[in-house]
Amino acid sequence: MSERSDSSEILNSLEKYNLDISDYLPSHSGPKLVLNFNKITTVSEVEGIILKGREIENGIIADIVIKEGTVLEDPIHLCFGVNKETGLQEIFPRIIAEDNSSVTLQAHCSFPNAKNLTHKMFGHIYVGKNCKFVYNETHYHGEQNGATVAPVSHVYVGENSYFENNFFLTQGTIGRMKIQIDIYAFKDSIINSNVKAFGKNSLDSIRVRDAVFLEGENARSIIKMKAAAIGGGEVMMFGITEGNAANTTGHVDCTEIVKDRGSRCRAIPLIRATDESCHITHEASLGKVDSAQLNALMARGLDEDEATDLIIKNML
Amino acid sequence: MSSDVLLSVKDISILSEDRQCNIVDTISFDVMEGSIHSIIGPNGAGKSTLGYAIMGVYHPCSGKIFFKGKDITDLSITERAKRGITLAWQTPARFDGLSVYDYIGVGVKDKNLIEQRVREALEIVNLDPDIYIKRKVDANLSGGERKRIELASVIAMRPKLVILDEAEAGMDLIVLESFMDIFNKIKELGMTILLITHREDIGMVSDNSTLIWDGKVLANGHFRDIMVLYCQKAGLKKICNRTLFNQFDECIDKIIEEETRENKI
Ligand SMILES: Nc1ncnc2c1ncn2[C@@H]1O[C@H](COP(=O)(O)OP(=O)(O)OP(=O)(O)O)[C@@H](O)[C@H]1O
Ligand SMILES: [Mg+2]
Repeated sequence: MSERSDSSEILNSLEKYNLDISDYLPSHSGPKLVLNFNKITTVSEVEGIILKGREIENGIIADIVIKEGTVLEDPIHLCFGVNKETGLQEIFPRIIAEDNSSVTLQAHCSFPNAKNLTHKMFGHIYVGKNCKFVYNETHYHGEQNGATVAPVSHVYVGENSYFENNFFLTQGTIGRMKIQIDIYAFKDSIINSNVKAFGKNSLDSIRVRDAVFLEGENARSIIKMKAAAIGGGEVMMFGITEGNAANTTGHVDCTEIVKDRGSRCRAIPLIRATDESCHITHEASLGKVDSAQLNALMARGLDEDEATDLIIKNML
Repeated sequence: MSSDVLLSVKDISILSEDRQCNIVDTISFDVMEGSIHSIIGPNGAGKSTLGYAIMGVYHPCSGKIFFKGKDITDLSITERAKRGITLAWQTPARFDGLSVYDYIGVGVKDKNLIEQRVREALEIVNLDPDIYIKRKVDANLSGGERKRIELASVIAMRPKLVILDEAEAGMDLIVLESFMDIFNKIKELGMTILLITHREDIGMVSDNSTLIWDGKVLANGHFRDIMVLYCQKAGLKKICNRTLFNQFDECIDKIIEEETRENKI
């Protein structure tokens, strides 16, 4: 099978999840980097963006630089796909957003046939001053619970910048997933981190550590973690926020719904303040769906199961 | 209005969570098919609790509830909804991610009619469907918008009996003006309304009324008369119809008599 047809299979797997794949096709003019297993199949740059991929033994190093003042409407697409059943993929993205830039990075990790497949990522993102940086990562792990996925990201957000992280793992099966995100927020920066995960059976195990360290004065953050575990699935959310500078504000919010025997949800919010002017809070709710929501839907004729499913589906 | 009783509440009592007292105490009344029946009474009288008991959220410790002649006391919320009862909540729930379209459409049985019903219901409550169907029923809706969407969702469902728990509270004046139109539309669509309200102008649309005080029924009758009793009992300086004083005194006597009896036990 040729490389090209391999990557089109990966792209097709994205289409299965109602995703518009046209942005990834070679004919599309936007910036992108597409991987098929550990081979780079497409790299396209646009003005203001440097995209470089280098193949290494079990994966690639991807360097992305968003030059000073670059403002992009279209997202930069990264597609890390593997259509093999087994193997190891290691990705090392190094991303620099220079001052006054504004971009969205859309990463898709697609492993449609995973049976015993490991994907690891060690990412570093440096966001300069006065930037807006949105990082969206969506995963599809096929239907066989056969993926082990462990991304680790370190993010540094410079003065007066806005950083948004959206990490969604809600379609298909998950397999074993361990995510670690550490975000360091400097003066006047704003962090908005959203993680959603859905464990659907006893082979799905999800652990998320989402941490924000408010290191510069007036930095603000909110971490929102939403998860559901059904059919014996397991989810653990570890939301961390530290206020280490004057007038920092942070909040960790965790909502997890558990349904069916054997399913498990855990939440460990850890908040720390080392300055008297910090305001760090957390809120967590685990277990059954909120009864007011259930009653409202049941009063329109849904039974408890249908109502719970509808609430989970829309929350995630 | 037909002469058939649609809902019949017979001597129901609901215990407080600490089991110390009855929030609702041996309440009975009938709601006629096709009518608007209002429930009035001060804050904390037990109006919402009574509404929840009819919906099946709370189960009474004694008494029975009949709907279309059938005993529904032991049925679940879902089963009651399927038989044609629904409730517009005093403080409606918010949902992350659920669209207004999906929320209003939940109660529409015929899935081919969803879009038509949702749009029509939004128009009835004066919300522009093109703007609102895509919005979410989450914390970003204003209080008044959420209440109107609640009303729209019961209208789209077409139940036989709708319990409106202060549906008008939090709505702006423009909507209040057109509330009569909304009630008429609901009636035209064949629904019977159990109307929990604090507003005299809204209550005026009702055919019958029940005054609840401290979990008990003080009186049943025409709204205007009931309102006079209510004002009297609350010590409000309203011009009262002379003939009603006797009735009112009778009620007070009854309560005092009951209270002394309870104390003796
Ligand atoms: N779950 C509960 N546990 C304890 N007390 C309750 C509970 N629910 C209601 N109550 C009490 O029962 C009484 C009746 O409450 P209910 O909400 O039915 O009043 P209401 O007539 O609807 O008042 P309002 O006009 O303020 O809406 C109140 O005193 C309330 O505090
Ligand atoms: Mg009430």
